[in-house]
Amino acid sequence: MDAEIYIDNNSFIHRLDPRVKIIIFLLTFVAILLFQDPLWMLPITVLIVIQLVASGALVNMRRIRYILIVLTVSSMILWNIFSSGDTKLFWIVSVQSLTYAVSRTMLMILMISTGMILITSTRNEELVNGMIRLGMPYRVGFAISTALRLVPTIVTSTVTISQAQRSRGLDLESGNLLEKLKKFLPLLVPVFISSIRNTNIFGMALESKGFGASEKRTFYLDFQMKKADYVVLAFSILFMLVSIYFAVMGYGKIEGLIRS
Amino acid sequence: MKEVVTMWKNTRMIILVALSAAIYAAFLIVFKGGIPIVPGITEVRPANVFPPVFGLLFGPAGAWGAAIGNLIGDLFGGTLGIGSIFGFFGNFFLGFIPYKMWGATFGLVPKNDMSQNTNSFKKVLAFELVSLVAAAACGIIIAWYLDIAGMVPFAFLAITITVNNFAASVVLGPILLLLLYPRVKRWGLVWTDIMAKEDVAKGFAKNIGSILMIIGAIGGLVAGVLVAIGVAGQQLYGFTGEQGQVAVWLSVLPFLLMIIVASVMLSGREQFVEELED
Repeated sequence: MDAEIYIDNNSFIHRLDPRVKIIIFLLTFVAILLFQDPLWMLPITVLIVIQLVASGALVNMRRIRYILIVLTVSSMILWNIFSSGDTKLFWIVSVQSLTYAVSRTMLMILMISTGMILITSTRNEELVNGMIRLGMPYRVGFAISTALRLVPTIVTSTVTISQAQRSRGLDLESGNLLEKLKKFLPLLVPVFISSIRNTNIFGMALESKGFGASEKRTFYLDFQMKKADYVVLAFSILFMLVSIYFAVMGYGKIEGLIRS
Repeated sequence: MKEVVTMWKNTRMIILVALSAAIYAAFLIVFKGGIPIVPGITEVRPANVFPPVFGLLFGPAGAWGAAIGNLIGDLFGGTLGIGSIFGFFGNFFLGFIPYKMWGATFGLVPKNDMSQNTNSFKKVLAFELVSLVAAAACGIIIAWYLDIAGMVPFAFLAITITVNNFAASVVLGPILLLLLYPRVKRWGLVWTDIMAKEDVAKGFAKNIGSILMIIGAIGGLVAGVLVAIGVAGQQLYGFTGEQGQVAVWLSVLPFLLMIIVASVMLSGREQFVEELED
């Protein structure tokens, strides 16, 4: 994972107001969770794929492809074990358990995609600004956005330190669970220290720029909702309401599914 | 619990929230693709050593860091969902309980050396105790909610999360704290060096609060699992049995309330010993 997830495009999604993007992000999560049946998840899947392509977030999805592959494989295996159904296919796999496994896997991938679209298309300062304008205290918003921005940097340094320690003979694969856990120590300590050591300088830099000086914060960035923002927001809310209506009416369930 | 709010006025504490969250999230993400236990819900998490360590070193900033870090880990690890709401609170308590209980561990941490270090056998025991209680509290908070939501049975998930949390802490925690404390102390980043004593909750009857916290967390786990197995027919490993059983919710609820009451009773002010000596 590279240090920067944000991609500097000028796509339609990039140009949306950050508040709209945050609201769409939250609505999308609810929409993803409404249905069990993969067929009923298709509309939201199509919308997310369009956003992935339009925002350029596919590049970032490619970066985490190994995590996605492992999650997909494990999800497909384990949800077939943890669920069953009337219509047997082979061994422990039934039509219902397979459908459910596909649905749970889609749910995970769609959630990752939704988060990735938001981070790919929104600068850190825009994200904080959006969260604060939606009512979050600016100090909390700052902490969240800084953490979001630092995660890729720390992941990168974790991988670098891991490679450096492996080149010195660290073997993370062998041994039982406790032995494996102990071997993580040479990774944890350097990552922690390299991340924390500059806290004081970071603090001074922030305070020298007036951070925390007043309760109400002013912003250089000033967003105004445009027509496109209102249209997208209205469409998202409408899509959400229609989805909720169908879910409440009992659509999108997998008939005959037994979670054992 | 006053300090979980007052800490937000301190810039360095805010930065420590961000850094704790980022480190925790980064390690969660790196190991998301490791060994899943329930895909979309949880997996083997060596990163779980961080919340108790962060909690002890950074106090409320570590607790907020654990909560936010777990949320970010869920977001990029593909496990963000209904469970993430109480995952936030569960992980908050995973970082919160260790620093609140540290000064009320029945003499394991001596009054004249409250340093958040594992430089003696008794302090290692204190660390294991607070980690176990925090692990169980996190487990029952998340499992209680997910059982109500009808997603994962209480018996299975409460045990899984508790063991998962504690396994990392028991092996790595004392060593990590021993290695990190001197450096963090030298940089002036231990929470008692950053926050003012008057910004931390006074608390009252701290040892009773500590007992209440232990009963709330461990008792809640035992009672909840027994009721879930006995009444709801759940299993320790598997999704068998009824979820959303009122008996399970009601049996765990008093213990969750005990954890909240204990959180109000416990303080953390007693750890400002060195400041008084200066």
